[in-house]
Amino acid sequence: MVSCYVYGVVPGEQTSTEVEDLPAVANAQEKISLIRHRKLAAVVSDMSTERPLGTPEDLRAHARVLDTLAATDTPVLPLRFGTVVKDAQSAGRMLADGYDHFMAALERLQGYAQFTLNAQYIQDAVLREVLDERPEINQLREEIKSLPEEASYYQRIQLGQLVTEAVSSKRDMASAEIQQYLAPLAASTATSPPTADEAAVDLSFLVKHTQRAAFEQAAEDLARRWHGRIRLRLLGPLAPYDFVADAMADTGEVP
Amino acid sequence: MTVASQSGQYMERPSSGGLADVVGLILDKGLVVDVYARVSLVGIEILTIDARVVVASVDTYLRFAEAVNRLDIARSGTETRGLPGLMEEVSEGGAQSKTKGALEGVKEVVGNILPGVGDEEDEEDEEELEPEERPRQRSRPTSRKDRGR
Repeated sequence: MVSCYVYGVVPGEQTSTEVEDLPAVANAQEKISLIRHRKLAAVVSDMSTERPLGTPEDLRAHARVLDTLAATDTPVLPLRFGTVVKDAQSAGRMLADGYDHFMAALERLQGYAQFTLNAQYIQDAVLREVLDERPEINQLREEIKSLPEEASYYQRIQLGQLVTEAVSSKRDMASAEIQQYLAPLAASTATSPPTADEAAVDLSFLVKHTQRAAFEQAAEDLARRWHGRIRLRLLGPLAPYDFVADAMADTGEVP
Repeated sequence: MTVASQSGQYMERPSSGGLADVVGLILDKGLVVDVYARVSLVGIEILTIDARVVVASVDTYLRFAEAVNRLDIARSGTETRGLPGLMEEVSEGGAQSKTKGALEGVKEVVGNILPGVGDEEDEEDEEELEPEERPRQRSRPTSRKDRGR
């Protein structure tokens, strides 16, 4: 059965030329096209429902289409990965049902793109800082060294736990500092939930096009200041994955 | 994959996100629309749940302990490349390491449903998806969202 994969919603005057030849979700050969309804368009591609979605290439294709649109200064409302409707009519109906909300959210996001900053502590640097700042951890470490390995099992767990917590707490401080430094250059910020990596954090910013250069420069300043301690990677411009829900919520009920 | 920024050399500007970046960016994000004709595809839900599985582990602590215990070696001038376990990823993995759980989840789910798919990544995937015996640690509420509008 052929269904319709929906990437996102864009203004209807949008042409599909930037994205039509990008690899589509589920089948890279499919064309990406637009289903229009009044002043809106849904970005879609045909797909067969024979296999479930979720391959690395599916995920990449979804993001690539949306980010390419975002990079052309098109406001785009990203739908959640895996949104599939029965056919093109259903996609059109989706636009009709949520018309006012989509329009308002697009207007709100017009002129903005998301940037996501990944900050990652550098191994030795963060461990040294922890040992320097927390004498009791260093002391425990010295004690363990004087014990045979079998005898220090619980102390080693305790040491590891203390270090883990200390690293997490430093991560949180760096995160707060980044926010404080960059938030003035962004319309909105979002912190991703902490991941398994206690030394890394992702922060997302909704940045106005006119502020983009200043924002990038400020992030670069941070990277220079923290060089050797914290590694910064900036992704973007991206579709507003972290901000679209708010942009819709502000319009009242989500369709 | 990484291209120097136009503004400077200290911050990395990946031209296109690696798989780990993409997973972190899009999973569980984006609008959920309630369409009468929505087609449900088994697999996606599982994938989403898997990506959030975070397991606390004594092993993680032990690796951390080992990492600090070996720090002396670094202080005496020896490169610490090759430090076992957890902290090793911090210096070289970037965001690639943080979503390992998700990646393994994706791979596992895809592999379960569609035998073979999980094994045929291209070279880039191979690198990113290289299974590592790094236990996940610490489970915190995932709802923390700080928004400053």
